[in-house]
Amino acid sequence: MLMPPFELHHPSTVDEAVELAASIMAKGEAFDWVAGGTDVLPNYKWRINPKPHVISLAGIEEAHALSPSELGCMVPLSSLTTENNVHPLLVQAASKVASSLIRKSATVGGNLCLDTRCFWYNQSEDWRRSIDWCHKADCGTGADCRVIPNQNTLCVATYQGDMAPNFMVLGASVVLIGPEGERTMPLAEFYELDGMKKNVLKTGEFLLKVTLPKEALQRKGCYQKLRVRDSWDFPEAGVAASWIPGDASTLLVASTALESIPRLHAEQVENHLEAGELDPVGLAKTVQKSVKPVNNTALPPRYRRSMVKTLTKRALQGILE
Amino acid sequence: MTMGSYRQQPGASSSEVRKDGKRVAGKQVFPPPGSGGSDPQMRPRDLDFIPETVGGKEPKPAGDHIHDRDRTGTVVGKPIPLVDSNAKVTGQAWYGDDVRLPGELIGKILRSPHHYARIKSIDTSRVEALPGVIAVSTGQDAPNRFGVLPVTKDEHAMAIEKVRHVGDLVACVAAVDEATAIEALSLFDVEWEELEPVFDPKKGLEDHDEPIHWRGKYHLARTNVQKRVFQEFGDRSLVNAPHASSHGSWTMSGVHHGFTEPHAVVAHWDPNGRLQLYTPQQVPHYTHRALSTVLDVPMHQINVIRTFVGGGFGGKSDPFPHEMCAALLARKAGRPVRITFDREEVYWINRGRHPSHIDVKMTADDSGRISGFDIDALIDGGGFASFGHVTSYYNGVLATAPYELGSFHYTGARVWTNKPASGAMRGHGAVNTRCAVEVGLDEMAESMDVDPIDLRLANLLPPHSRTISGFRITSNGMREALERVREGSEWDSKFRQLPLGQGIGIGCGFFISGSGLPIHWDPKNFPHATVHIQVDMDGGVTVHTGAADIGQGSTTAVAQVVAEVLALPIEMIHVRSHESDTSPVDLGSYSSRVTFMNANAAIRAAIGIRDQLLKAAWEMLGYHPNVLVLNDRRIYYKHDPAIGVSYLQALHKAQADTGALIARGAYRSPPMGGVHKGAAAGLAPAYSFSAYVAEVDVDVETGLVSCTNVWAAHDCGKALNPLAVKGQIIGSCHMGLGQVLTEKMVYGRTGHLQNANLLEYKIPSVHEMPHVEAIIVESSDPEGPFGAKEAGEGPLLPILPAVVNAVYDAIGIRLRNLPLTPDVVYAGIEKHLKKHGLDDAEAMASPRLKHGPLQKVLVARSDEHRERDRLRQRSEDTSAYVNGVLFGFDPDRPLAEQVEGWREADEPLPEQLAELGFAGRAWLKKEQRHMGGDD
Repeated sequence: MLMPPFELHHPSTVDEAVELAASIMAKGEAFDWVAGGTDVLPNYKWRINPKPHVISLAGIEEAHALSPSELGCMVPLSSLTTENNVHPLLVQAASKVASSLIRKSATVGGNLCLDTRCFWYNQSEDWRRSIDWCHKADCGTGADCRVIPNQNTLCVATYQGDMAPNFMVLGASVVLIGPEGERTMPLAEFYELDGMKKNVLKTGEFLLKVTLPKEALQRKGCYQKLRVRDSWDFPEAGVAASWIPGDASTLLVASTALESIPRLHAEQVENHLEAGELDPVGLAKTVQKSVKPVNNTALPPRYRRSMVKTLTKRALQGILE
Repeated sequence: MTMGSYRQQPGASSSEVRKDGKRVAGKQVFPPPGSGGSDPQMRPRDLDFIPETVGGKEPKPAGDHIHDRDRTGTVVGKPIPLVDSNAKVTGQAWYGDDVRLPGELIGKILRSPHHYARIKSIDTSRVEALPGVIAVSTGQDAPNRFGVLPVTKDEHAMAIEKVRHVGDLVACVAAVDEATAIEALSLFDVEWEELEPVFDPKKGLEDHDEPIHWRGKYHLARTNVQKRVFQEFGDRSLVNAPHASSHGSWTMSGVHHGFTEPHAVVAHWDPNGRLQLYTPQQVPHYTHRALSTVLDVPMHQINVIRTFVGGGFGGKSDPFPHEMCAALLARKAGRPVRITFDREEVYWINRGRHPSHIDVKMTADDSGRISGFDIDALIDGGGFASFGHVTSYYNGVLATAPYELGSFHYTGARVWTNKPASGAMRGHGAVNTRCAVEVGLDEMAESMDVDPIDLRLANLLPPHSRTISGFRITSNGMREALERVREGSEWDSKFRQLPLGQGIGIGCGFFISGSGLPIHWDPKNFPHATVHIQVDMDGGVTVHTGAADIGQGSTTAVAQVVAEVLALPIEMIHVRSHESDTSPVDLGSYSSRVTFMNANAAIRAAIGIRDQLLKAAWEMLGYHPNVLVLNDRRIYYKHDPAIGVSYLQALHKAQADTGALIARGAYRSPPMGGVHKGAAAGLAPAYSFSAYVAEVDVDVETGLVSCTNVWAAHDCGKALNPLAVKGQIIGSCHMGLGQVLTEKMVYGRTGHLQNANLLEYKIPSVHEMPHVEAIIVESSDPEGPFGAKEAGEGPLLPILPAVVNAVYDAIGIRLRNLPLTPDVVYAGIEKHLKKHGLDDAEAMASPRLKHGPLQKVLVARSDEHRERDRLRQRSEDTSAYVNGVLFGFDPDRPLAEQVEGWREADEPLPEQLAELGFAGRAWLKKEQRHMGGDD
């Protein structure tokens, strides 16, 4: 497969990167940020929304920071599994992403900003032409969504990153940086529907780093991932849970691979705890009811939804032990 | 004095030797080139690898073999790395896409965006105008049809009138580089008329306005049926009042070979106007024939060069349209053209295992004999015939062994649909039915309260017998395979005794070792395989064969048997198998024929060389060849090893008058089989047998199945190279596990193939691989080379049913939708819970077994049969045995005379028409010639 041509830029500071992005935008041209490239470059080969410019974040020193409270966007997932000062939940989650080879390139930032996926979309150009394109990559045709036809307003491609729910249940925030400066927000607020928008990043803005609060260190977490094979596969469903042992009010549960964005289930947890004692099976059922997967990944949505209950129960049992 | 001290080269001084026995670097004297390695001393005979029947120590429990006297203890039976492995591990093997010729162009193929459409026009003017485009070709350039089977030629280089699936070839272009070629594809202007596609094979049985292919007067009404089969043997009245029975309806998804190397081809018309075509082919000879037909060029003006093949498994055994495209473009351009597929194109050309609907009914009588198999197989052929004619038969007839049957009834149909074409894949045609049959036996054993292994052991056909359909069984290691996996897996302490979620299951396999009929010619006129050997003054042995090494080790097998006969180190054997210019015609690597047929031919050729050497030694030593021994580059008098000559001395003597020694050997199968229509399908000079036990863990809350252990016994006759055999067994387990647990070609609601890539087409990773205990069973086939039979395909069969049966043992649920992805298993569990009014999957009951009265009967019978089989295997009992003896019939008289109602039929009786299964309904349709319509 031939990579479509693009111009690769290598800024070495945050400022340089932001300026570069601004200057490309000023010329009316499009670009993509690239960290590890394990997601965006295969998509390019399939001619899925390739851009004439690609800006690599690899040269920015700050992006490589790795400490218990701060993880730069360029930190490879393999470092999470090998460095000493990483939260055990992140070690557990990172070791389940793709394969050990891919984790050498794949990064924290890339995983959080992962493009949403759909089997009508992650296909070659020839293939997508044969279905007359889809809403997410319509190539100017105004094509309809192929998963849920006749609505044409919403993309329901699925977010299949593993790291997001785990960072969420550790209370992580993200630092975004762009032409309008820096802003920080809880990771749970970073994601925004639909499958095309994915998150709040504005053009020219990128995710510089993830920060964890001090109390994250006290948290005990567990991540349950559903997949067909124990290597390579994206999650078909994933649930993370954590708490400060003994304190039910600190309980956090988040899920991924079920909708177009990962979700922190704060509302379900709150309602459940208000109603009484923490009951893993009861809470699991509540979480299950709150998600609506669609038919665009390897396993059917009905099954994936059923599994949310099992995964949540197991994640909760994992931290309650 | 030990025998090892005899020197190879009289006159050459010894090397300087260290105290530890090794030679000092730079101080050793190399013998003259060609005398084999650098060891000047003859190694002692390796008696452990010389059969006891000819004075060695190798045990021969299955009796003596005609090739025993050709054994020299050199390499046969020893685990050795494949001879081409150095080229592969150092990255120097040249696969299809590694061929780079000066001035090459890159070819790309324009593919259909429609499932089914008529091409109204193709305008190539914009393509031709693009700078950098050198040649353009469309279907009109090559109107001649081709196909792997002469009876079903239904393919063109590119679509002539219609495209038949998304991805079907429409046109092709050659340009100076890939980017230009890709750009050029967007400049073709094609006008389409879309036609109504067919995706569901059941719909393929119905009449259609525009059948996908039209076979004229032989077309079945207006259906999309490509082939229908009916086979019935035996007395069907036996099945009417069964003591026990089982019935299973299966849906099996299509699977792909998943080989590593995508298809690639380089075509070049040399300065003399001959076509040189480089392609990773399993069957270069068929490509050779098809090229000749399509290009209108005589075969002798084409040289097909087989590159290294990065995995085939049946997926590279058809002549392919892209091979024609490359040749057409190269001819127009006057420059070499290279075409390499993307992975998606690999799935579009497909030829994987057929998606199938299989229905298996079976019955047993009150003494635990299998009174009937009733099989119906509807298989989805996709857009072209490929090997489908044969697959249609194999789905039935390869289930006629290893068990003795009271009757056998099979209806099969293969239909065209608007999907990529199915074809041959490892275990061709036998895998899906075998799975259904073996699971059916498990179910029937349960209803009889007997152990399923004992049910099998009490119903096996013995060695040297005949199946109900007339296949000649020679060696048969089925019983030993079953007994060894039973023991190895500790079956008797596990089966139906493990806790919920853990299970153990059994499955058997039976497969052809070479197809008895060479498709393109009468075996009476030409042999199946021919091998040439040439030995010149240097002593190196050059073997010319057309056997296509696709990674399975055929080159190694050929080198091994030649080295064995001539008693030469394997490094002295050079196999040349890449070019049709130099290779004798060979049918290539399919139907598990290569070791059996090619190695047999190679042994015969090597004996030809050996006899010339022995004659020369006789003249030099004065001892008759009968008392001469070949061992490690030396020929000497049996009773006094000091009296002898080196290999090179004998060779030079033999060459004195003639120059280089030349010999050839050929293999042809003996006449065999019945005379009914389809009798040749499944006929083979030998058959392999296998039995596997698999252990699984099932997560009852998620439906995830993991296979943890496999005990895999395979009867390969004789393991010429145990390392390679074990590799084949383990590899087969991996491939079969993929089909049973995770792999499927997913066609979505629009009929598009949804997962034409290796992320979503889920081949098991190393994490999913169980521990495989490979157990080699050696039944010493009388006609196999040194007793060998196939080991490349048969070992795949048993893993599927073993896993499905183990899942039942673990959770008590019969699942008949393959693959058993977690959602399928979970759906089964949910249904089961609902049926039994349970809330919690953990509360399900595991199946248990309490032996019924029949168990003793079966054990007693299998004890008797063990002795019967031993005597027959060793030819101590040579009486006739045909399927039916178990039911009390006389093997020496035709069964039709003895049994009222005995029938051998290849067409249904009118009264049977109403009760035929899905595929059988194809028999309700008439051929056009019987309809009085036009053709």
